[in-house]
Amino acid sequence: MARYMERTNGLLRVLRTNYVASQDEIKQYNWRSVLQTYGYLSPSEMETIQYNSRAVLEYVMLGKENEASLINNITRSRENARAVQDHITKEMWHNLNAYYLLIREPSIRQTIQSGDPITALDALIRHSLLLYGTIDITMSRGEAYSFLNVGRFVERAIIITDVSDIKLKEVNYRLDDELTLPSLRYLLYSLSGYEVYLKTSRGIMTPDTIMKQVLYDESFVHSILYCMSHISRYFKRLEGQSIPESFAHLDFLIGKAYNNLKYSTCDLKGGVSIGALLNQTRSDLYNIAIAFNKHYFGYN
Amino acid sequence: MYWVICYINYELMTIPKILESYNPQEDIWDELMGDDGVRPIYEQFVRSIEGISHEEMEGKDDLAKKLFMTQGITFTVYSDREGVEKIFPFDIIPRVISSEEWSVIETGIKQRLKALNIFLKDIYHQQFIIKDGIIPLKLIYSCPLFLREMMYVDVPFDIYSHIAGIDLVRDADGSFYVLEDNLRTPSGVSYMLENRSMTVRIFPDLIPKNNVRSVIEYPSFLLKNLLGLANRQTSNPTVVLLTPGVYNSAYFEHTTLARLMGIELVEGRDLVVENHHVYMKTTAGLKKVDVIYRRVDDDFMDPLVFRPDSILGVPGIYWAYRKGNVAIVNAMGNGVADDKAVYAYVPEMIRYYLNEEPILKNVPTYALDVPENRSMVFANMDKMVIKKTNESGGYGMLIGNKASEEEMETYKKAILEDPRSFIAQPIINLSTSPCYIDGKMQPRRVDLRPFALYGPDGISIVPGGLTRVALKEGSLVVNSSQGGGSKDTWVLGS
Repeated sequence: MARYMERTNGLLRVLRTNYVASQDEIKQYNWRSVLQTYGYLSPSEMETIQYNSRAVLEYVMLGKENEASLINNITRSRENARAVQDHITKEMWHNLNAYYLLIREPSIRQTIQSGDPITALDALIRHSLLLYGTIDITMSRGEAYSFLNVGRFVERAIIITDVSDIKLKEVNYRLDDELTLPSLRYLLYSLSGYEVYLKTSRGIMTPDTIMKQVLYDESFVHSILYCMSHISRYFKRLEGQSIPESFAHLDFLIGKAYNNLKYSTCDLKGGVSIGALLNQTRSDLYNIAIAFNKHYFGYN
Repeated sequence: MYWVICYINYELMTIPKILESYNPQEDIWDELMGDDGVRPIYEQFVRSIEGISHEEMEGKDDLAKKLFMTQGITFTVYSDREGVEKIFPFDIIPRVISSEEWSVIETGIKQRLKALNIFLKDIYHQQFIIKDGIIPLKLIYSCPLFLREMMYVDVPFDIYSHIAGIDLVRDADGSFYVLEDNLRTPSGVSYMLENRSMTVRIFPDLIPKNNVRSVIEYPSFLLKNLLGLANRQTSNPTVVLLTPGVYNSAYFEHTTLARLMGIELVEGRDLVVENHHVYMKTTAGLKKVDVIYRRVDDDFMDPLVFRPDSILGVPGIYWAYRKGNVAIVNAMGNGVADDKAVYAYVPEMIRYYLNEEPILKNVPTYALDVPENRSMVFANMDKMVIKKTNESGGYGMLIGNKASEEEMETYKKAILEDPRSFIAQPIINLSTSPCYIDGKMQPRRVDLRPFALYGPDGISIVPGGLTRVALKEGSLVVNSSQGGGSKDTWVLGS
């Protein structure tokens, strides 16, 4: 449930940023990399809509046939929440249900098709924030809260690796080009990291400092290392409720992923090197997710 | 349904219903309509809105108002000693400028700004321009904005006006004139940025479809220039934006720019001078400040040198500046170059310093301390605009054809008492641009304020600016404090 919610939030921000970018460019904006990551279209299907912002938004947000769409994410999250209603608060359930109803409102589709898409995206983002606030204010700091947060940070870390990879793909993994910077600036926008970046870097935009923030800055809530350290933090709280062998296995995987990232010798000036690190990190995160499913949720 | 049909560039262009009642006045340049109908630069935009119903346009207008309100894009107006936050009225129809026209504007502003900077350097050093008889000594020394304290102060890179907002108007003949050079603390750039983000919301997809150039880079250009002004020995300079505080009418702009550049927003009380260096008070102790982008007027900058009752400035900052320990943007004393009486000499400055002919025209200006000018102006007062030389914001101004006899007499009396403080200009028929007001398109007068940034690497101007609009029918005053609004400015790509 938490992973679906985080995925929804992350995806909304990616879509908003890309949409704003599409409106600020003289050249036709290509959504191909977003479609590749958040859709299941064939290359020919992709070609028909990749320059059409509204069509892409409709497919990624409301396409029921798209497994990765927002509407499917929210539906699954709600289904999961229904199954664990005894572990979550009534307020949280109400909020999630309202979210589910909101994305089904005809006005959302209508706004995306012919109105101002940012209005629809902002309404959904606002609801996402409301849900996080509700969780924070109403949930007791017990087992369910820890599971929720582990899921949330695993998913956030995966999203960051995905969107970083999208932006690196857009520039063919070349970071030595001036044209890289607009792409990376939009990466920061997607991760709500632009203002933090300006404050810490004194406005000097260089690809390596941007990637350093996205990968390693532990005070930036959308850096991968921040997420890793929070996965570890919340997971350790589960020790008392865990089978020792399961806990030890997961603890090892989380520690390994954290260290693989923190002590990596990645060349931040080289796109290919960063690409490889992102792949390794994504693989580590999937391993953690799979192990969680196996040891804690009984999926084999 | 009645459709007006006209021919433009040999193509059939139907004028949509929304423009049927649009009647620009004769003898005024209209940005949208020429003698042959819709101008080519507006064609794409007009086509884009022709299918929009009245209800949809109303919806867009409402959305704009709502967005300005929810995003807190406001300015403060003072009345009865009370500050009231108001939305800067925004008109949803953009003003369009062709790439060719922009190219002239850009080159003209760069030329003008270069000359004005040399003038400032000259006037505060050797004063060749006075010695060579180009500008009268009296004119400079009688200017209240001339700061003797700036004599022989060496400013970084000899740049005085790092940020300039040059006001341009278009007369009936279609050519642009410079109305004012704002070289002190020009405001409005945040509205330029916000107006663009509003248009993205109100008319989705129109920006890329119309090939409109981006203005998003402004804060990056500004920050780069500010950092470039820091002492070369400092690898990690601290730049701050000095604001007069939350009650200043442009406070929204101060916060926006500070946020967009990632620099600290400080008030005078946050800074302290010690041993001729400026420091910012932080929770970790004092932190040296290298560059100050100040939005505080000269008079208030340092109570030890200028107005002793100022609590907005920083005691001792003048000497820190004079010693070169801190860079201040814009430099102090710039007012002498945008004094309305000195303005008349800018074309001569361009010829004198650059040996070039001015690209942008000046509005003919009559200094009223010259008796012949005074008599001529008094005889033709209904055809003149009379302005105080050191006022701005639409204050201290009399528009002859709108003024009553009583107002004219009051002005005459004031002019005779202090003629140096007034100039007169013929009334310029500001061009009109379409505005969506009361459910229909109506022509309203506009001006244009592009923002030029002068840094160590030269002058850069983002393609756009603030188009201010006089929303009252028949009004020529575009200032926000006097019932003006603004609209997005589209500079088309080539």
